[in-house]
Amino acid sequence: MRKYSLLGTLIVITVLAALLPVIGAPKTWLLYLFYFYVFLAAANMWNLLAGFSGLLALCPAAFIGLGGYTMTILTWWGIQYYIGIIVGGVVAALFAMLISMSVFRMKGVYFAIGTLVLPAILKLVFLRWKPVGGDFEGGGAGYMVKGVRAIPPEVTYWLALGIGLASMVLILIILRSKFGLGLAAIRDNDISAASSGINVFGLKLSSFIIAALVMGVVGGIFYMNNGYIEPNNAFDINWLMIVLLATVIGGKGLEWGPLFGTVIVVALRFQLARYAGISLLIQGLILVVIMLVAPQGIVGLIRDLRKKFMNQQNKKLPSSS
Amino acid sequence: MELLSNLASPIVIGILMGGLYVVIALGLSLVFGVMKVINVAHGDLVIFGSYMAYAALTTLGLNPLWWILPSLPLFFILGYLIEKYLLNRAAKISPDAALIIAFGLALIVQNASQIIWTPQTRSLITDFTMTTFKVGRVYIPLVYVLDFVAALVVMVVVRQFLQRTYLGQAITAASQDRQTAELMGINPSRVYQVAFGIAMALASIAGIFYGLTFSFYPSSGPALLIIAFGVIILGGLGSMVGTFIGGMIFGLSQTLGGYFFGPTGQLLVPFLMVLLVLTIRPQGLFGR
Repeated sequence: MRKYSLLGTLIVITVLAALLPVIGAPKTWLLYLFYFYVFLAAANMWNLLAGFSGLLALCPAAFIGLGGYTMTILTWWGIQYYIGIIVGGVVAALFAMLISMSVFRMKGVYFAIGTLVLPAILKLVFLRWKPVGGDFEGGGAGYMVKGVRAIPPEVTYWLALGIGLASMVLILIILRSKFGLGLAAIRDNDISAASSGINVFGLKLSSFIIAALVMGVVGGIFYMNNGYIEPNNAFDINWLMIVLLATVIGGKGLEWGPLFGTVIVVALRFQLARYAGISLLIQGLILVVIMLVAPQGIVGLIRDLRKKFMNQQNKKLPSSS
Repeated sequence: MELLSNLASPIVIGILMGGLYVVIALGLSLVFGVMKVINVAHGDLVIFGSYMAYAALTTLGLNPLWWILPSLPLFFILGYLIEKYLLNRAAKISPDAALIIAFGLALIVQNASQIIWTPQTRSLITDFTMTTFKVGRVYIPLVYVLDFVAALVVMVVVRQFLQRTYLGQAITAASQDRQTAELMGINPSRVYQVAFGIAMALASIAGIFYGLTFSFYPSSGPALLIIAFGVIILGGLGSMVGTFIGGMIFGLSQTLGGYFFGPTGQLLVPFLMVLLVLTIRPQGLFGR
């Protein structure tokens, strides 16, 4: 019963959100929502890695940047953007597969450091490499997305809504499957998980590749809306900050965590857009305070408070009878 | 012969610049060795050190080299307090919590610097900034020599401190085996606070010399963090001599990479080396 109500709510919200551009919602709303969907998808995937799979991967920028670049370069070859977005996801996933041969040999801290270096390397590669275009494009100058003006804004919005929804559904499905149970076992104790027949390496690798695929698609959609891509932005540490803030503020390792966290990150980003420094400063403060006061994030805090409340109710019941 | 004489300059500069990287990496290495926490705020704290020296230079007219003396206790106290009130609590929650708190700290420090000193590029300009001298056919800027001397002095002082003093031995003991150290009557919390304080003081020194050598802006921090990681990974986490050699290797591969592959090769070559070392020998070239 509960399953259906959840599904129903999701469908109703999605239909309402999808109708917004048709009924003429203000452009700024649509922009906020676009950022919300895109960040939500990236944060959900980071939650899958850091929260559920025990992989503190500090390289979301690598996947997002690769997806964005693939989509952009393909438009230069005259290939439609929607194909480019999918190919971008595939390229990011292939990159994840390739790089896993190296980074999956590392454990814990080493994995974190190894993945942190990846976007830095890609940034340097793309600063130098000019796959298409003349002397004035590519490298540090970046690329325009060809034919971006012809794409109606509501299509961009729907694509973002699609990936945001897909990431949420994907997380909900994964956590209710055998795959998710395996991940939970690994997160709690990977040695005992391995000894009870769980393919620890295989599961971790699968979630790494799934996350890369979705983040690559996210990159394609984000830079399509941006209309322009350059290495310093595409492979920036900012991407890591966004997904980390959204996931941790909401609740790392909780399925609804990134949803709540992304709302706060996007709200802060736009409310304080004129004061970029102060906005990030406040986000940093929130991050520190949340971690100290409620390490499980907002969703964890709500859950704990509810439990406390329920316990009090339960205590009251026997005394009154 | 032609190649050799052309290579002399990148080799000398690479080794000297490696000294600067050693100073930058030492604080990170110490914190990781003792507390097993990757302090991702380290790069931003180094740049904060540059900015504090910049503030002393512009408001008090204090030479950055003199600023080292008052900055050491100042940054030590700051580090002591950060450990006591933030990281110490975080470490009790989970290992990831400390890392995330450090991320928050990085955001706070970086953006506070941006608000106070604007995003404009700054540098510590003194009367010896432009001084160069010639050895054979190689022109060497004085600041690079200062970087290297600073690296040697800092290495020797920190090493002596860790080996000779009670507190230093306690830090070493806690980093080797926390539980046994506790049984021997060492208070790990206090050791961590002192270690983090020292790491902050090292960040200040690194910031001063970085500012003397290169120009900096509020978001220079993350790049420095990645460089410091590279140095430590090449040398081996927690190994002091390893860090020194790692710094030299990083500096050399940067200048030689620049020589052979152009400007983008400068960092590409050392980063690829880092990834290679992590893959083949994760504990670093000199780690155990």
